[in-house]
Parts: sequence; structure tokens; C-alpha cells
Amino acid sequence: MTNSSQQFDEELHSLLVVMAKEGILNAAKGMSDMVGEQLTVSQPLVKRIPIREIPNLLGGPEAEAVGIYLRVEGQIGGQMMLVVPYPKALDLVDLMMSVPIGTTQTLGSIERSALQELGNLTGSFFLNAVAATTGLNSRPSPPAVLVDMIGAIIDIILATSDTLSETVLMLQAKFMRDGREADADFWIIPDRNTIENMVNRE
Amino acid sequence: MEKIITVGLGEYAVSQDPDEILVAYGLGSCVGIGMYDQRINLAGLLHALLPIHPMGSADQQSRYVDTGIKLLMDEMARKGADRSRLIVRMAGGANMLVAPGFTGSFNIGTRNIEAAYSTLYSLKMSIAGKEVGGTTGRTVKFYVKDGRMTIRSIGNQEREV
Repeated sequence: MTNSSQQFDEELHSLLVVMAKEGILNAAKGMSDMVGEQLTVSQPLVKRIPIREIPNLLGGPEAEAVGIYLRVEGQIGGQMMLVVPYPKALDLVDLMMSVPIGTTQTLGSIERSALQELGNLTGSFFLNAVAATTGLNSRPSPPAVLVDMIGAIIDIILATSDTLSETVLMLQAKFMRDGREADADFWIIPDRNTIENMVNRE
Repeated sequence: MEKIITVGLGEYAVSQDPDEILVAYGLGSCVGIGMYDQRINLAGLLHALLPIHPMGSADQQSRYVDTGIKLLMDEMARKGADRSRLIVRMAGGANMLVAPGFTGSFNIGTRNIEAAYSTLYSLKMSIAGKEVGGTTGRTVKFYVKDGRMTIRSIGNQEREV
């Protein structure tokens, strides 16, 4: 890596950390409102992850999970995904529907719709905070809910990235309930153009 | 004793060890393409992500269906395989994102399958077995000892193609 690309990475990193902090705190607020319980969020991480390692996140490529996926368009372009292990997604539905944990056993159309709404709210809260912090406006697409192996869900992100490089820039945070981790991972993958625009604004 | 060789995203592997099983986990829109030369028990599996390698790009060729198939075939030939004996099996190419607002530009799975068909056709190779398309992810196992390919998806039993 050259010095200039190192500098680029450092500048970008600090910029994204500031953006992520506000955005993800606000996203947690949106998600808390939706599930009716106070959710906290771990310190957001901004990481460059090698493409080949991505499927190994969250329990490996064959682990069953639910991905709530949104495209972001506008002054910021990118992808957002809430990724939840399958049993945890059932718990989230129970919380949203105000029924005892363990009630939801499968994800039918009503349950998927609830999860879509959760993604919608989380994504919108994130983008609102980013707009307030940076002045950059963007909007989310309607959310899509995917229930499958982690590896297959992640193909969406990789196959629709505008440019393939060795690594993907990912902003990652874990939502927590009652101080326990791993209810949901929130990933934001900015498009390459967006990354370049953000650095050039400085 | 069986040994699992993981074929990661955008990679390929070739083996002549009958104990080895080449595995591509959790294929969504990606495709897994296996080639087998029975006479020398040589197997190869490609795990490709996107359909067509962009002209002039320095991007890794094994990430793309068209260039990946050629790479795999060349590697098999270097190890003694004869193209006329190669048995080809493939799986994957699901369209994972079936939702309003996500049609059109997201049909990467279909484009991957089409790229595989046209590349194999241009190389005069036919497909002996396949399970492609649909909307669910698959794990693909390719057995070096006999060239069998099995598929697993969530909620379904393992099956052979």
C-alpha cells in the first residue's frame, strides 16, 4: 500500500467513524421504538474486510440467517443490511408483535412484513442522522427480507457492489438487549463513488 | 478419511486425492462449476461471483464465470485432463432478491447461469447435471473420488445432480 492510499484510508476511516456513531445511535433509537424495548448499540466498527472472509462472519456461510436489505440512493450511495441469526429474528418478531418470546416459529408474510418495517425504520433513522451530521441527503429503497444461508445472503452485497475490489469497506455495529450481544448486526457498505466524494469534500 | 477443501468466493480448486471433497458453501447468485476427468480421477470446482470479466480489468479472473471456467479448464489440462473426457456439473445462480423494486439490475443469478452456458457452449462442453436458478442458496459438494456433485439447501435434504 502506498502512503497516499494509507492517508486516504485514515482520513476516510475517521470520517466514517464520526458518521457511523451518530447514524447508528439514531438507528438503535428507531429500532428500540419499533420493538418497544430499549436497545443499545456497541461501538461501531469501520473495517476493510477481504471479500473472501465475508461469508465467515456471523457463524459461517451455511448458518441460517435473516437479512433485511436496503439500497441507498442520493448524495450517498450504498447498501445497508440488518443481519440477524434466524432464531434471533423470530425473537425480534415476538417483541414487535408484543407476544411472549418463543411464540413465533416461522416467518410468514406478516412476520416478514414486520421485519421489513424494522429494516425500513432502522435504515431511515441512520440516514436521517447522517444527513443531519454531514448535510448529505439520501433515501432508502423499500426493504427486502432474505431468509437463507449467510453465504447466499451476502452474495447480494458483493454482486451488486459497483466495483469489485479485494476488500469491502464495512461499517458494522451490534445491537444489544439487556446488555447481551448478537441480536442484530447492522452493515453499511458505501459505494466507491460515495467514498471518493466524501473524502474530496474535506 | 474424507477431507473438506473449501473453495472460497471467487476461487477454484483442483484435486486428485480421492479422500478430498471440494466444497463451495452458501452459494446464492454465485455459481459452482465442477469438472471431472474420470480416467485420471481429477476434479476441479470453481466458485464464481459475477458473469463476465470486464475487458482490460486486472480483476481476478476466477471471480468471473467466463474467465473462471477457462482458468479451471486450463489448470485441469495442465494436470493431464483431456477436454473431451471432462464431465461438467453446475449449481447455483439463484435470484436471491425477489422483491418489488429490486427486479432488473439484480438478476445476477440468471446472468451467471447464462454466462456459464455460453462459455461452455463455446468450448464445446456439455453439462451432465445441474441444479440452477430458483431463489434459495445452496452448498455444493464435489467428490474427487467419483465426480459426484451434491447440493444442500435450507429445509431440503441433500441431493445429487
